[in-house]
Amino acid sequence: MKQYFKNTWDGLFTVFIGMKVTFKHLFTPAVTIQYPDIKVKLPDRVRNRLYVNMDDCIGCDQCSRACPVSCIEIETVKSIPGEDLGFTSNGKKKALWVTKFDIDIAKCCYCQLCVFPCPTECIYMTDVYEFAEYERSNFIYKFATLTNEEAAQKKINYEKLQAEKAAAAAKPKPETPAQTENKSE
Amino acid sequence: MYQFLYNLIGNELIAGLLVAVVPLTIILVFALFGIWLERKVSAHMQDRLGPMRTGWHGWLQTVADLMKMLQKEDIVATGADKTLYNIAPILVFTGSFAAYAVIPFSSKLLGSEVEIGLFYVLAISSLVVAGILMAGWSANNKYSLLGAMRAAAQIISYEIPTALIVLSMVMLTGTLSLDKISQMQTSSFWNWNIFGGAIFGLSKFLLIPFMFVGAMIIFISTLAEVNRVPFDIPEAESELVAGYFTEYCGMKWGMFMLAEYGNMFAVSAIVSILFFGGYQSPIGYLGNSIGAQWLVPFEQGFWFIAKGLTLVFVQMWLRWTLPRLRVDQLMTVCWKYLIPYAFINLIIIGIISIL
Amino acid sequence: MNFYDIIFYIFAAITLLSALFVVTTRNIVHSAFYLLFTFFGVAGIYVLLGADFIAISQILIYVGGILILLLFGVMLTNKITNVEIRTGTVHMLPAAIASGIFMGAVVAVMVWTEWKSEPSVIPLTTTKDIGHLLLTDYVLIFELLGILLLVALIGAASIARRDKE
Ligand code: SF4
Ligand code: SF4
Repeated sequence: MKQYFKNTWDGLFTVFIGMKVTFKHLFTPAVTIQYPDIKVKLPDRVRNRLYVNMDDCIGCDQCSRACPVSCIEIETVKSIPGEDLGFTSNGKKKALWVTKFDIDIAKCCYCQLCVFPCPTECIYMTDVYEFAEYERSNFIYKFATLTNEEAAQKKINYEKLQAEKAAAAAKPKPETPAQTENKSE
Repeated sequence: MYQFLYNLIGNELIAGLLVAVVPLTIILVFALFGIWLERKVSAHMQDRLGPMRTGWHGWLQTVADLMKMLQKEDIVATGADKTLYNIAPILVFTGSFAAYAVIPFSSKLLGSEVEIGLFYVLAISSLVVAGILMAGWSANNKYSLLGAMRAAAQIISYEIPTALIVLSMVMLTGTLSLDKISQMQTSSFWNWNIFGGAIFGLSKFLLIPFMFVGAMIIFISTLAEVNRVPFDIPEAESELVAGYFTEYCGMKWGMFMLAEYGNMFAVSAIVSILFFGGYQSPIGYLGNSIGAQWLVPFEQGFWFIAKGLTLVFVQMWLRWTLPRLRVDQLMTVCWKYLIPYAFINLIIIGIISIL
Repeated sequence: MNFYDIIFYIFAAITLLSALFVVTTRNIVHSAFYLLFTFFGVAGIYVLLGADFIAISQILIYVGGILILLLFGVMLTNKITNVEIRTGTVHMLPAAIASGIFMGAVVAVMVWTEWKSEPSVIPLTTTKDIGHLLLTDYVLIFELLGILLLVALIGAASIARRDKE
């Protein structure tokens, strides 16, 4: 019987204690922020949207191969002699026209694995994290600087070169790997 | 109210319908406001801000949600029992709406002046139980059925302490009419039933502790009857998804929500009528002192809503304080604690009221 | 036809139709739920007769108590749809005669009784009078019913308890 009244008292009393606690919190200032209006400062080395500085890209395809979800697609065309592609900022000579450099950012898991292999450090993470889109196709970011016509022109140039080379050689024998890759598009 | 409209219009049907529209509007507005309040209270108790972007401090958020809800597709599960599935939300809402027929919002604004208002409120809430069982069974979903069974068991159990406390109040006041009970507690707050009623004497002081106990018991048991936390096992989100309305969507779900908030306010109103003077002002009326009699009913309406909202706030406060009870604890609280106390309270109040 | 007549016919229709569904439907949960509307319609008719206390008691006891209990019972059965409610027919002739006589008696009572048909004053409050009657004229029956319920309660409790041992 004593236990019974003690239970009753405990039941009520502890509820009141709890209510006191929550009541205090009712007037505690909020610890959350109003996100789109106020933004917290991002830490250094935060991983967000990728960016590729195409001026420096040598088209080596290493980032694409490092990507665990295969969201980077790169196509390159060899330059023909006489074309000067210039140098990257850390002094590498560019030899390939990058005709296609697509990152499907919807697939990207922000693992940053593509960033480290890049010999010219031209693919890196930025601090942009708000890039919602209405169309899924808008998530395929195209970084290639060449226009389609230019890319086609480069291809034709290269094929012409190949053809000339083939004609010049005693036995016309096309370079198989490059050829098939270009044809298969 | 009805008589006034009847004299004005002269048609029973139209006057009746117009009177019925008043509580409907009140439920709708209260649900809009109540859901917003719930969100804000919960947010601030957890040191958050809650909805902030639609209107001033997000007060239009519920309106926006309502718009969204109205546009939603009305999905009925293939295995559901279509007829009962469609009737159930209507029945649940009817149950909570019908209780408003007798609740006096002020001395002028009351639907029906029947003598047995209190009894009616207790009875009509059983429609809600039937509706909940119907919803749970017809959805053909295990969670729904479990939720419905729990809800029915819980509501029926907790009706007993409620009824016992109501009975003791009826013994004390000698009437079942909600309007009369409110009228008795007039003029100032020490005449409220929680302070022993309007009759001044020894019995008033003897009654005070038992009135506090009674108010607490009826508050707890009505809290359980409207399935609010800590008695929300019928719709326990973390175990039963949403209990008996798991399968509902769009406006049918909205009707359950409306019914829930309607019930919340209705039980708060009942508690405030029984113990806190109903629509009576705690400090006297401005209208009487400045000689503007027409002001008094409006003041009464204000006090009624204020008291109701205060109790609703306490319900929310409890919701964000306490965790959910287990089923056996729920039954223990009801059968082993509330009912014995309510019984003893009933007997003592009976003896005192004879004195 | 006045306004209250229409209401009466609506309630009567609700009662009769739902009662018909109760016996014809082959899903016993549906039967139980249709019973809700039958009880509700009857309560409405009580209200129209000015018997507000009885009407509310009807809802409280039948809808709030018995129907819910019934539903619990029904939902615990394992066969819910397609229950063959009708049993086989035996003794057609005596049954027909007996029910014919019973119906004749009922109709005869209906026709020959002198119903009080003048509109009586509907009492404003019935609760007080019912209370008085229950504790004066009908106190014996009232107490007996109370004892009966108590006995049933104790019996149920003891049956429920015995299983556990
Ligand atoms: S961050 Fe990871 S997933 Fe994204 S492109 Fe780079 S390697 Fe691929
Ligand atoms: S690793 Fe760097 S240089 Fe190589 S293709 Fe990728 S971005 Fe260009």
